[in-house]
Amino acid sequence: MINNFNFLQAKNIKHAVDVLAREERVCPVVGGTNVLVNMKRGPLPVDTILDLSGLSALRSITTDDGIISLGAGVNVAELLEWSKANSVAAELFSPMCSEFAGPLIRNLATVGGNICDASPASDLAPPLLALDASVVLASKAREIRKIKLADFFQGVRLTDRLPDELMTHIEFQQPNDERFYYYKLGKRKADAISIVSVAISIKYDKEKVKRARIALGASAPIPFRSKSAEEVLFEKAMDPQIVDSAAAAAVADSNPIDDHRASAEYRRRMIEVLIKRGLTKIADERVNSR
Amino acid sequence: MSKEPLEFTLNGQKESISILPRTRLIDVLRNELGLTGTKEGCGTGDCGSCTVLLDNQPVNSCMMFGLQARGRHVTSIEGLSQNGELHPIQQAMMDHGGIQCGFCTPGMVLSLKSLLHEKSTPNEDEIREAISSNLCRCTGYKKIIEAALSVAKTSSLSSVTKEDNNIIGSSMVRGDAEEKVTGGSVYAQDVSFPNMIFGVLLRSEHPHAKILSIDTSDAELIPGVKAIVCGREVDMGLYGYELRDHQIFALDKVRYIGEPIAAVAATSLDIAYEASAKIKVTYDPLPAVFDPEDAIKTEAPLVHDDANAYELDWETERSGNLCYKLNLSDGDIEEGFSQADFIVEGSYETPVAHAGAIEPHCSTARVDSTGRATIWTTTQKPFVFRSYLASALKRPLNKFKIVPTHIGGGFGGKLFPSLEPYAVLLAEKARLPVQMVLTREEEMACALLRHPSKVKLKTGVKSDGTLVAQSARMIFNTGAYGFYGPNTAALASLMVTGPYRIPNLDVTGLVVYTNTVPNGSIRAPGAPQLAFAVEAQLEKVARTIGMDSLEFRLKNAWDEGDVTCLGQKLESVSIKECLTKAADAINWNEKREPGVGKGLACLWWVSGQWGTQTLIESNEDGSFRLINGCVDMGTGGLSSSVIQMAADGLEVRPELIQLVRGDTDNLPWDHGHGGSRTVFTIGESAYDAAINLKQQILKEGADFFGLPLDQVYISEERLCVRGDPSQSVSLSKICFDRHKKHGGPMVGVSSSLPQPPPTTKDHPIGGFSAASFCAHAVELSADRDTGEVVVKRYAAAHDVGRAINPAGCEGQIEGGVAMGLGLALMEELVEQKGKIVNPTFADYLLLTAEDMPEIETILVEKPSKEGHFGVKGVGEPPIAPPTGAVANALMSAFDIDVTSLPLSSEEIARLIRERHHDQ
Ligand SMILES: Cc1cc2nc3c(=O)[nH]c(=O)nc-3n(C[C@@H](O)[C@@H](O)[C@H](O)COP(=O)(O)OP(=O)(O)OC[C@H]3O[C@@H](n4cnc5c(N)ncnc54)[C@H](O)[C@@H]3O)c2cc1C
Ligand code: FES
Ligand code: FES
Repeated sequence: MINNFNFLQAKNIKHAVDVLAREERVCPVVGGTNVLVNMKRGPLPVDTILDLSGLSALRSITTDDGIISLGAGVNVAELLEWSKANSVAAELFSPMCSEFAGPLIRNLATVGGNICDASPASDLAPPLLALDASVVLASKAREIRKIKLADFFQGVRLTDRLPDELMTHIEFQQPNDERFYYYKLGKRKADAISIVSVAISIKYDKEKVKRARIALGASAPIPFRSKSAEEVLFEKAMDPQIVDSAAAAAVADSNPIDDHRASAEYRRRMIEVLIKRGLTKIADERVNSR
Repeated sequence: MSKEPLEFTLNGQKESISILPRTRLIDVLRNELGLTGTKEGCGTGDCGSCTVLLDNQPVNSCMMFGLQARGRHVTSIEGLSQNGELHPIQQAMMDHGGIQCGFCTPGMVLSLKSLLHEKSTPNEDEIREAISSNLCRCTGYKKIIEAALSVAKTSSLSSVTKEDNNIIGSSMVRGDAEEKVTGGSVYAQDVSFPNMIFGVLLRSEHPHAKILSIDTSDAELIPGVKAIVCGREVDMGLYGYELRDHQIFALDKVRYIGEPIAAVAATSLDIAYEASAKIKVTYDPLPAVFDPEDAIKTEAPLVHDDANAYELDWETERSGNLCYKLNLSDGDIEEGFSQADFIVEGSYETPVAHAGAIEPHCSTARVDSTGRATIWTTTQKPFVFRSYLASALKRPLNKFKIVPTHIGGGFGGKLFPSLEPYAVLLAEKARLPVQMVLTREEEMACALLRHPSKVKLKTGVKSDGTLVAQSARMIFNTGAYGFYGPNTAALASLMVTGPYRIPNLDVTGLVVYTNTVPNGSIRAPGAPQLAFAVEAQLEKVARTIGMDSLEFRLKNAWDEGDVTCLGQKLESVSIKECLTKAADAINWNEKREPGVGKGLACLWWVSGQWGTQTLIESNEDGSFRLINGCVDMGTGGLSSSVIQMAADGLEVRPELIQLVRGDTDNLPWDHGHGGSRTVFTIGESAYDAAINLKQQILKEGADFFGLPLDQVYISEERLCVRGDPSQSVSLSKICFDRHKKHGGPMVGVSSSLPQPPPTTKDHPIGGFSAASFCAHAVELSADRDTGEVVVKRYAAAHDVGRAINPAGCEGQIEGGVAMGLGLALMEELVEQKGKIVNPTFADYLLLTAEDMPEIETILVEKPSKEGHFGVKGVGEPPIAPPTGAVANALMSAFDIDVTSLPLSSEEIARLIRERHHDQ
């Protein structure tokens, strides 16, 4: 009933995976913005808190051979600064990070925490899905494991992470010539939980869409990519009809919740509106840039 | 589990302590190290009151384990001033009126300090963003932003300069500002005693059920449990305001989810919760009723078996679940409608809302060996609380001493006891001091809330725009108990005409019991509900007759000498001036782009009365103590305006007058802080006491010079002789001599109870003293598809009678507008089968600094004929018109009819879609 647990500070990644392998009921914590909310609501079902916040190895962002890797311990404020400074997918990361919670939480909340918490309304997930990112997991017992983010999410607050695994980073191919769109619909201007969020990445081959990635948050039990919408766009010119069909396909793929924040009906309508807007904006930019 | 060592740097000093692993950083600061400037408003990362700097970055200290601070640098508010010198942002917050209740202030200051550290000249948008995690319920952020801009020096607004030496009309810095900005003020949650234990409540999980048994035996066995109390062992009395229908514990049955059943105190909060979970309550569920319209049907389950049995001070018709019914009519309604060229009907609903103070309720009680209880608590009404406790616990009044702490925002949410009686009972049984704090969830789901309303209006108008008749049927769901239900309906009935001439009127107000959380008396009870309904209805009427909304309102607005529906003849009426000024401020007549709308709304309101007594006593050195039993919940009414009024009476600098803080043992009786009364009632009484004291001082001075009384006067802290500049004596000498040589200090006294103006009709509220008037104007746009609203400009014109402290008046208005915009756009407690499903600041949304629009605050000064200064109350009215103004702007932009609040994006998108779909 009472919050009683050991508190261990990870000294390095090896120590962290050792603890995860050795101890029962270990809960990693970095920013604590999920864990401490849970603790306020009731005792945590854990024996050991494993603090990763001191692990500098988890806090770097690197680019190596066209692969960008975001450390699991990078917080949202740092991600925002980095994306601004390096203009990597800034059209996704800048608006997402600056609308993520408020400035206080952004100084704590980490990439790894957000992904491992696997909230349906995770704001980090849609941009990372649109970048086709992979989660990288380390453990004592096995090799480094890489899994596509799209497969990592298993259900509401459920992931493919095994209890002995540590998420070390998330990686994606450096974007090259993609066009992006991001929009978060919340109930107020700052510190709002997403009603729906949309991240789109489009790669053209001449006039046609070579590759589309359409990712949605707060639109189903997990953040996901709408394969049907992506298929509709594949090898098509983005004319208004195609845009409409893609938006409709995304709605069909979605399965949003009906709750006090918004009705499922509104969320569905907004998925349609926002995807149309995003695709239209990308198509218009394409026309204008020629 | 054992304690772990924690070494870190706090405010530049190394700290080395041992803590349990579960201890959060906020607990390290507050409990382990006694630095209580860091506040806890929610504990879930949603309010920012716990902000500290971690290696110079602002973070929520409630979101970190203390052990995570190992080796790091933490700055709390206590570490900000250096060598007794305030940080520039602290000084600016004081000078610009950025501090009201002060509960958000430490966090706000730290967020701003960090911003100014990173960017020396941030612009306004950057400032808004930097404080967008720090919720403030009092100020509407405007003065905080101005303070930050002044430090950043990116605007012409540099430091505040004093224009002249007038006491009245100058924006004196509130007396408690420095204490608040440095984190030194003691709020209820900062009270602590050695041996103090912690109490929690066990609350009903059922909306309506018989209690078959309560078994506390397992809970009592848990080590650390010191006391468990439930209703059967307490001699409970009924208490309430006009209506006395409430007992502190459910006894035979529970009537709402969250009703207290038992209270537990233990050596730690965790143990208390564990024990309360071990109390076994067996229920026999009863059919429940949630909707007031269902509840007044004859077959509805009865919330109270015999509502008629309860004492109610007012005449009414009661039966079944009808708690109170009010009828009010004027003229001849049938005749009125028969004169109308058009008749317009509309239905309007508003949801349950929360007062939204960032400070949760908290009380600490200690009972002495004679059974006398002292209660440190966050209350707007210390003396009235004493009476409530006496009734609730059936004990004599003098068994209770209430010590009001600083209040972290009241807004009507702290007008009734919440934890006090339980803390007393637990402290008595445990023989230890007991502290109780509502969790944010309890605060949102179980504290007394704002009444939801359903209002049906029917309005008759002539084609030239003259209003001729209006009928209203209002239903207020009061929840399981009456509290302020009757009063809300009665006040609301006087809002049905708004400040407009409607000669024929018929109003029915129903207050209905249901199995939902009881509602109380939140800032301007009834007013936002009715301002929304009436102003949206008038918009519909104006549209029906094709008249401009401003012109239509001006045509019907009251003039001097007009008579209200109760027969009160109005004096110093300024509604047209307010309307014109507010409309001008947003360029009412300028052409509007598609998707952009403008809206107007007006209100009239009362300046609260009730009795008070003020004493002003001279000190030996010529300074003074002002003694009054009211408390300042943050508005600054008491700590600035009232002092200024006393200073004006005494003809001394306000700095010479100290406001005495005390308790119900050592202060004179006062009704409390609420009802827009502080400056009107207490200020006037302070002035009278000052005049009374000045006469005594002048008498001493006249005796000193051996001259007649009219030959001496006070100037620059000296007693001077008329016509002879060479002769004068210091005030301090006169006070000292009188004090030391002739029988103690001089004391000016005034007791007062302002009387409401006469009316020709009987009504439970009666005439409005020093009636105030206001008009708001808004310009906004909305996205047709998503429904997202952008408020572009906002103007609020308020007749305050006389602006004793202009910045203080503006602060009330700006904070009120923020609250009103919240009610208009996003604030709603969602009740599903009697359960509130969004009881957090993550889901009950207050406006952030980024949501608050540019606001132009216009002070109109048309002095009331009541009182020396002619002030009119301004505490409550600003929250009401935003509901109507926003509704009207949306109605005009999209040609839609709005029917309910809040106007969320979803609701707006739905209204627009349904209106324009088939075109
Ligand atoms: C007021 C508030 C506002 C918020 N607003 C938003 C918002 O707008 N958008 C949004 O998406 N989210 C929001 N959140 C949630 C967001 O802050 C978290 O999801 C955050 O990103 C989690 O990071 P953390 O470091 O704080 O995680 P923690 O609380 O430390 O951990 C979260 C979970 O992940 C696990 N974990 C963390 N790191 C690892 C790792 N490296 N390997 C394995 N497991 C790990 C932990 O065990 C835990 O289960 C908000 C939270 C709060 C309190
Ligand atoms: S108390 Fe920490 S954010 Fe509210
Ligand atoms: S002054 Fe900001 S909450 Fe009261």
